[in-house]
Amino acid sequence: MWKTIVRRFLIMIPQLFVLSVIIFVLAKFMPGDPFTGLISPQTDPARIAELTEKAGLNDPWHIQYMRWIGNAFQGDLGLSYTYKRDVADLIGERALNTFWLSLLSVFILYLIAIPLGILAGRYQNSRLDKTIVLYSFVTYAIPTFVLGLIFLFLFGYKLEWFPTSGSVDIKYEAGTLRYYWDKFYHILLPSFTYAVLGTTGIIQYLRSEIIDAKTMDYVRTARSKGIPMRKVYSKHIFRNSLLPIAAFLGFTITGLLGGSIFVETIFGYPGMGQLFVSSISSRDYSVITALVMLFGFLALLGSLLSDIIMSIVDPRIRIE
Amino acid sequence: MAKKNKKTGNNNYVNSPPTGLQVIFREFMKDKLAMFSLILLVVVILGIFVWAWLGIDQQQLLRVSLRDKFAEPGEKFLLGADQGGKDIVGQIIVGARNSMLIAIAITLITGVFGVAVGLICGYFGGWIDNLFMRIIDFFITIPQLMLIIVFITVVPKYTVGAFILIMSLFLWTGTARLVRSKALSESRRDYVQASKTLGTNDFVIITREILPNLSSIIIVEMTLNFAGNVGIETGLSYLGFGLPQSTPSLGTLVASANNPLVLQQYWWSWLPAALFILLMMLGINYVGQALRRAADSRQRLG
Amino acid sequence: MKKTKWSLVALLLSVLLVLAACSGGDEEPTTEEPEETSTEDTTDGEPAGEDSGSLFEVAVTNEGEAIEGGTLQVAMVKDEPFQGIFNWELYEDGYDADLMEWMTNSLFEVDENFMITDEGIATLEVDQENNKATVKIREDVKWSDGEPLTIEDVILPYHIIGHKDYTGVRYDTAFQNIIGAEEYHAGTAETISGLKQIDDYTLEISFKQLSPSIFYGGDGLWTYAAPAHQIADIPVGELVESDAVRKNPVSLGAFKIDKIVPGESVSFVKNENYWKGVPKLDGVVVKVVPSSSISVAIESGDYDIVQSFNATKMPEIENLENISILGRPELYYSYLGFKLGKFDTVENKVVTDMEGSKMGNQQLRQAMGYALDIEQVSEVFYNNLRERANSLIPPVFEAFYDEELAGYTYDPEKAMALLDEAGYEDVDGDGFREDPNGEPLEIKLASMSSDATQEEIIAFYLQNWADVGLNVTLTTGRLIEFNAFYDMVEADDPEIDIYMGAWGTGTNPSPSGLYGEADPFNYSRYTSEELETTVRAIDSPEAFDTEYRADQFKAFQQHIEEVANIIPMQFRYEIMPVNKRVKNFSFDYADEYTSHLHELELVAEEPVAN
Repeated sequence: MWKTIVRRFLIMIPQLFVLSVIIFVLAKFMPGDPFTGLISPQTDPARIAELTEKAGLNDPWHIQYMRWIGNAFQGDLGLSYTYKRDVADLIGERALNTFWLSLLSVFILYLIAIPLGILAGRYQNSRLDKTIVLYSFVTYAIPTFVLGLIFLFLFGYKLEWFPTSGSVDIKYEAGTLRYYWDKFYHILLPSFTYAVLGTTGIIQYLRSEIIDAKTMDYVRTARSKGIPMRKVYSKHIFRNSLLPIAAFLGFTITGLLGGSIFVETIFGYPGMGQLFVSSISSRDYSVITALVMLFGFLALLGSLLSDIIMSIVDPRIRIE
Repeated sequence: MAKKNKKTGNNNYVNSPPTGLQVIFREFMKDKLAMFSLILLVVVILGIFVWAWLGIDQQQLLRVSLRDKFAEPGEKFLLGADQGGKDIVGQIIVGARNSMLIAIAITLITGVFGVAVGLICGYFGGWIDNLFMRIIDFFITIPQLMLIIVFITVVPKYTVGAFILIMSLFLWTGTARLVRSKALSESRRDYVQASKTLGTNDFVIITREILPNLSSIIIVEMTLNFAGNVGIETGLSYLGFGLPQSTPSLGTLVASANNPLVLQQYWWSWLPAALFILLMMLGINYVGQALRRAADSRQRLG
Repeated sequence: MKKTKWSLVALLLSVLLVLAACSGGDEEPTTEEPEETSTEDTTDGEPAGEDSGSLFEVAVTNEGEAIEGGTLQVAMVKDEPFQGIFNWELYEDGYDADLMEWMTNSLFEVDENFMITDEGIATLEVDQENNKATVKIREDVKWSDGEPLTIEDVILPYHIIGHKDYTGVRYDTAFQNIIGAEEYHAGTAETISGLKQIDDYTLEISFKQLSPSIFYGGDGLWTYAAPAHQIADIPVGELVESDAVRKNPVSLGAFKIDKIVPGESVSFVKNENYWKGVPKLDGVVVKVVPSSSISVAIESGDYDIVQSFNATKMPEIENLENISILGRPELYYSYLGFKLGKFDTVENKVVTDMEGSKMGNQQLRQAMGYALDIEQVSEVFYNNLRERANSLIPPVFEAFYDEELAGYTYDPEKAMALLDEAGYEDVDGDGFREDPNGEPLEIKLASMSSDATQEEIIAFYLQNWADVGLNVTLTTGRLIEFNAFYDMVEADDPEIDIYMGAWGTGTNPSPSGLYGEADPFNYSRYTSEELETTVRAIDSPEAFDTEYRADQFKAFQQHIEEVANIIPMQFRYEIMPVNKRVKNFSFDYADEYTSHLHELELVAEEPVAN
């Protein structure tokens, strides 16, 4: 298995390489450059030209690319044009925020989706099932930002149950328990928003898995042995149906990263998604490129992780 | 229930392809909600196209009238007016038509391309399959939303056409994967092998023999894709990468809720459009569910 | 089965109703009549300017006993994190400047005309004949860490900006006006030779040439001190990433940094060493608040003052009782520009080509100005927080602003008359005018995208022009994103005939840099002998005579109005919601709160909720 994991890692390299070329070229094709935003009557056009030249932005793209990839291999992702900081530091700070947000989101997501999926499948075609299916359709159809804004205004401002922006209140001393609790408190509502809307795939999948399982031979055998249905469900069907959920982890990660763009914008949460949107408008090339690469890498990692988990929980599946 | 399924399965076996339609019909008759959704969808979609075509002068509709800014629903405007004093009803109709056209276009482009790639990969296998599977893997793992945003910033003329192409570029892979796996198992079947030994042209085998057998799955897949593509521009509009004002769309209307005042007090400018998207997606999904049940004997209702 | 179906429908409806209720229903409406202003019958003609001057209070005095200390809660409206570069030489984003206002103090104080006075930490003496200026600092001023302010602290910023490793925009032609700056930048000199330390508290600066700009902090003069004892030893190239700039900058202001949550919030505590006296407040907390939720936050009484509040959100807060809304004219104008030539990048100068330009006809340009109903846009969308501009100098600059200028007010009749006169007539009867040669005329407008309001406004302007028979379409078919817009406008893209832009003028409204012959930012590409003479005269040595300078400013405004290569569109107001708990707060340029931070007081423990 180790061998295959290593091989999968090796396959990632050409994929990431292609992605890096695509994003690099595209980013350079965006009109304007990081200095466009600095223009004011007080700025000196000659100075802007000098800075552009100094930053190497006048070179042809392949030269810029070679320079970038060369530095990237040495762990230097460059300097953010906007934040004047090392891209790695900047993203590192934001990535941590996004990581906690995502972790809690996944947790709540599975907490909601798994019971609902099981119930829907168990009581197929009952009123409960129909309600759950309706719920999954409705949440699929509601845009994230609409629900996000409604939650924000209702729970944040009207009822004042949750904080409304940021990642932590400045009044708490870093490192104290109260500080971490406040951090958790800040991501609760955003995570919940994401989780409520993201359940569709898992519910649908789990539901049909269980429905399928009911007609499987092992269930019939168990039934014919006289094992009560309740036990058949808890001992056999659920376990077998839950396994493939692991396969969703990869997709969930990709989905989360996309969703973070919306959730972070709405809740004013300084994570990677928000950083991406603002970097696009300020043409902060180095950050754009680094973020896309990181997201791509995480997604690849996610799918690999899914496969590994699958092969562990279900010995029949071996990753090739 | 299992028994029942078996029976229907056996009956179908005698004259294979045509009964697909019968199964679908029976499934719809059993599921009133799906039937209701189907009829409603047909009526609404036809209605929108006819209304938008006959009843609305787009230039008049898009005329900004500042004095009517956020006019309340009432006599002058049935559902009120938006920020530019433009009639909401008219915009929903035209917007729905535009959004439908966008959804249909994306569904068809991705469908046709995805099915073609899937069939070719599944049938031929080998290096073609390998190549495309790597490409598909690549598309699935890249951060799509990010690249879509970058693409939109890069295109010099961001029009509906450009939007459809950009979205299609990223959305064909799901269909391709599904069709590929089905085509793969199908092409190992005896009838395909028999045709091959008879020397039948590959193209003929794919289009005349395999494709019809996959049609039900493809229809289901495309229906569900269609549901996902209605209002696909909503999120992008919210982030500021939506369609231009001159092209009203449901997504643009919904995205106007990005403002507490509009969200709470001027609900008429976004809520009807949001509900419309919701109902369309629900309807299409119910239809899609019925179709899926028809295609998968284990889940059938009758 | 049947029952299930109906219960489903009912469920669906109830879900939707709940959604609707959340979004609309349970908001207790506080006299929401946002349409009120728009139903008022305002006939065109009178520019809205006059009354909007008194639209706002610029200062607020809330009655009540001031509490001891207290912490001021400040919201900064912004949709992304702040950058956090707390250094005047290095920062680039206006939001960082807003944050620094709390903890730093400029060397100079300015009067209502933004001219340097003798009231500040330092005084300025200018020797025009010898092109020299003398900066003298007070002797008893201390940094926030207790170290005394010395003349080295005044000299250091010049050596940062001029350094070869400096990556900011402030090393510019104005800075090169200091003698020796270029040699220092090139690395051929150890220091800037034009800077001469007279004694521990006095600095003499030699310039190549002086203009009246020096009194506004221009010509290369730097108006801030840098804490030499903290940062002098840090290499300039590493400064921007250092903790001394990011985390714990030593400063001269009323407050000093206590804690920072990067990108989100900064908490300041009072600076016991503040030179004007110990502040009455215990501290200030500034938080970034997303624009979509700021109005609700104000209503809930979360903040005392709100910075960078967008005027289009005015209707969301205008009826709140827990705040006062202060306003003042901004140093800003927006304009409509006509492309009348090209920029010759080899010769580095503007080449005007009236004959060869589609917009070369003066009457056509003027007609386009008269055709725009900017008055209605200002009223409906901006609640008169913007008003029709008549000049390229904002009225705040009382000495230079020409209030007599008629400007281009909405007058479609006049526009049509002008077009008829110039020979632009609808020959083929399609509703749009053809040019004097009978060729179809399509004018392409480039305009920047921002929010949904902007889309509506531009659509409205296009309509205005169509109403007088001009076929104006959008370059690229839509509004253009900021970066792309300036890229295209600067490159004289042939797809652009006219464009809508805006400038923040800063405190020195001199047109040099924007309307001169050699200026790449002279986007309309219009220049003439008369214009060039005037622009130069405004910053000439003769202009030390304020009256002469004012005359030249007026000549400039009149010339532009006549040629109409640029038609001013709007001046705007900047507003600041202030909670009823804040005692004595002024937003007036002449008496701004930033110069009285130590005197701010609160009358309640918590901000007042609505």
